[in-house]
Amino acid sequence: MNFINDLLKIIGDFIAGIINSIFGFSPFLADLVTMGLAAIILCTFAALSFMGLTYVERKVVARIQDRVGPNQAGPFGLLQPIADGIKMFTKEDTTPAAADRWVYNLAPLVIAVFALTTYAVLPFAPGVVGTNLNVGVFFIIAIGSGSIVAIIMAGWGSNNKYALLGAFRTVAQLVGYEVPMLLNVLPVVMITGSLGLVDIINQQTTLNGNPGIPFIVFFPFSALVFLISGIAETARSPFDLLEAESEIVAGFHIEYSGMKFALFFLGEYVNALAVAFVFSTLFLGGYAGPVLPPYIWLLLKAAVVFFIFMWLRGTLPRIRVDQMHNLNWKFFVPVSIVHLVVVMVLMKLFVTSPALAQANGGILVTPAAQAAILFVASTLVLIGSLTVAARRARIMRLQEEAVLEQRRAENIAAVSA
Amino acid sequence: MRTDFAFVGVMLVTAALLMGVALIAASLLRPKKPSKAKLETYECGMETVGDTWVQFRVQYYVIALVFVLFDIEAILLFPIAVAFNSLTFFAVANVALFVIVLLIALLYAWRKGALDWE
Amino acid sequence: MTIHQVLFIVMALAILGSAIFVVTTSNLFRAALMLILTFFGVAGLFVLLDIGLFAVAQVLIYIGAISILLIFAVMLTRGMQGMVPRNSQAVAAAVTVGIIFAVLLLLFGPFRVTVDVARWPVFSLFAGNASPRDVGGIEWTPPNQPIPSVPETYIADFGRSLVDLNQYLLPFLLIAFLVDVVLAGAIFVARQRRPAEVIEDRRRQAEEAAEEAEAMRQAGMAPDVAPLPEGAVASTAEH
Repeated sequence: MNFINDLLKIIGDFIAGIINSIFGFSPFLADLVTMGLAAIILCTFAALSFMGLTYVERKVVARIQDRVGPNQAGPFGLLQPIADGIKMFTKEDTTPAAADRWVYNLAPLVIAVFALTTYAVLPFAPGVVGTNLNVGVFFIIAIGSGSIVAIIMAGWGSNNKYALLGAFRTVAQLVGYEVPMLLNVLPVVMITGSLGLVDIINQQTTLNGNPGIPFIVFFPFSALVFLISGIAETARSPFDLLEAESEIVAGFHIEYSGMKFALFFLGEYVNALAVAFVFSTLFLGGYAGPVLPPYIWLLLKAAVVFFIFMWLRGTLPRIRVDQMHNLNWKFFVPVSIVHLVVVMVLMKLFVTSPALAQANGGILVTPAAQAAILFVASTLVLIGSLTVAARRARIMRLQEEAVLEQRRAENIAAVSA
Repeated sequence: MRTDFAFVGVMLVTAALLMGVALIAASLLRPKKPSKAKLETYECGMETVGDTWVQFRVQYYVIALVFVLFDIEAILLFPIAVAFNSLTFFAVANVALFVIVLLIALLYAWRKGALDWE
Repeated sequence: MTIHQVLFIVMALAILGSAIFVVTTSNLFRAALMLILTFFGVAGLFVLLDIGLFAVAQVLIYIGAISILLIFAVMLTRGMQGMVPRNSQAVAAAVTVGIIFAVLLLLFGPFRVTVDVARWPVFSLFAGNASPRDVGGIEWTPPNQPIPSVPETYIADFGRSLVDLNQYLLPFLLIAFLVDVVLAGAIFVARQRRPAEVIEDRRRQAEEAAEEAEAMRQAGMAPDVAPLPEGAVASTAEH
């Protein structure tokens, strides 16, 4: 056993061994304590990464926008998250008199709990996973519904027009982008034949005995749409119109302050990091990688994905609500469906295993050839759809400009008359 | 397999406990000096007028409905995707038909303007 | 008691409690939230039944989609607080539900119904080739066997059966068409009229008003006279 590579697993087994020897009288109790401890470790990991990410994100976005970012607390502002934490704990926290107290106070708890539960199924290294559900991918997307419920609770519980309006905008966005997410996980599930995250990683590690290829090569279209939908699902910039400070003053969490606000913030970051982990797992091969230990690979990949999130946040302006809906319902969903059909047919035509070729027909190809065919098809769908969309967008822009021009001419005529 | 979900349950309970502890600790640490003005509904300093109960656009409902339909579609496709390797070409053609019929529904909604957000 | 039984009782109580809250509260929004708790409990029951796929689908569809749809529908109404959670059909509904529940319990529950066929010969029609019993009554047989386990490959089996011509292919394809019909219906009912249509409507109304005024003027009445009841206007226009 390679000590460095299996470090996490060895530590985990060691702790589980100690617990088993203490609670030897009852295997049930031993299991419960082990699971509880694992859950506490995962929650702590998520909370600590939340604190770290707030600092990193502020620094990176500041650098992109040619600012300095936090630099007062400690060297390079490194103590900023701790200062923020102290502030969150000691800040006065009001419940508006008009609020529905129960719903209002439960909402932050619900959002944080569901965000943290996502980590229960993420595989961090071979054998290091909270629980290897056989419906893993499905579970992650489903547990996201919990935060939708929490947002509605927050919006309604606050009894504030802005909060309710913000909550509704948010929910319309979150439910909408769940559809392309689901549709673009499907190709990955088809090629793996399993919903389990560990199976998906194994498939990318070895393909019928050959070294595996990450699924981003098979389905670049799915990877791109999944990534963008993921950003929209976590309501990060440029999809942060639900908390547009300048329009609806922070949206659904307008009335929240102190620790409850912190929990919303935690939910947001933990979800975003989970999306980065899931994207790395589904499309970049998860913890698989040469030389370095697996958990380092996973963290590296997730860090790269999260850096893309920060980069987009620092660069792009917020999109309008109609643009957001158009992008989803008029581009992502229909093109994803077309892509799905293309991929389905191609994967049935070109199969990699002789047994399947014999059973169902189809042309026998090597895994690399199949990857190449799917890559070309997926890229063609991507480029083709982008071309059509760009052309349509140009026509619509010209029409809009013509209307504006006409209006201007009418105004001039009215003034001069 | 049933036991696989045990950890999910434990995780839900643990996360709720930890976050609850954080909330309770904060409520012990923070000052508590409510006043009438503090407890008012926040609208940038303006006094709130009327009921929060503003009428919502029917558009939200249509979007939610379209979402429900496509959600059901995607969920039905997941078990089929798991079984994909062992499916015959005939079965795959039927799945494609299923998906394309839904695409037509989407295009219909598009043409009727149900997807336009004004 | 095994841990499964404890969990089952906890979930069943949560489901029942929240369901009772749903039908008794006067606040529609809280009712919707409690309904979500009910759905969550049902997802838990699916886990206990060892079909994780359905549990997750339950969360995704019922909590993530149906309840959102419900809440949006609630938001479209006005004045949802202070609803009266009773109406004139309450008794009839309770009786119907009770009968359906009893029938389901007898059909699928751990009971065996035996009928005295000598007294009720009509039941021999349903009995098939089962031997008629002398004494009628209801027997309770507590289930003793463990919960049957679901095969590891149930997800793939379910997927295959959906597209198998001999199994559920037809219903599966019908779902797609049903979805089409639902969508078309919803768009028709909830259609927002476009600005152009609204302008067209206003123009038509204005034209009608102008025509009416013209008719009234011809009938020798001043146009600024307060409008007569509809019947009167129609009779004057007939001249």
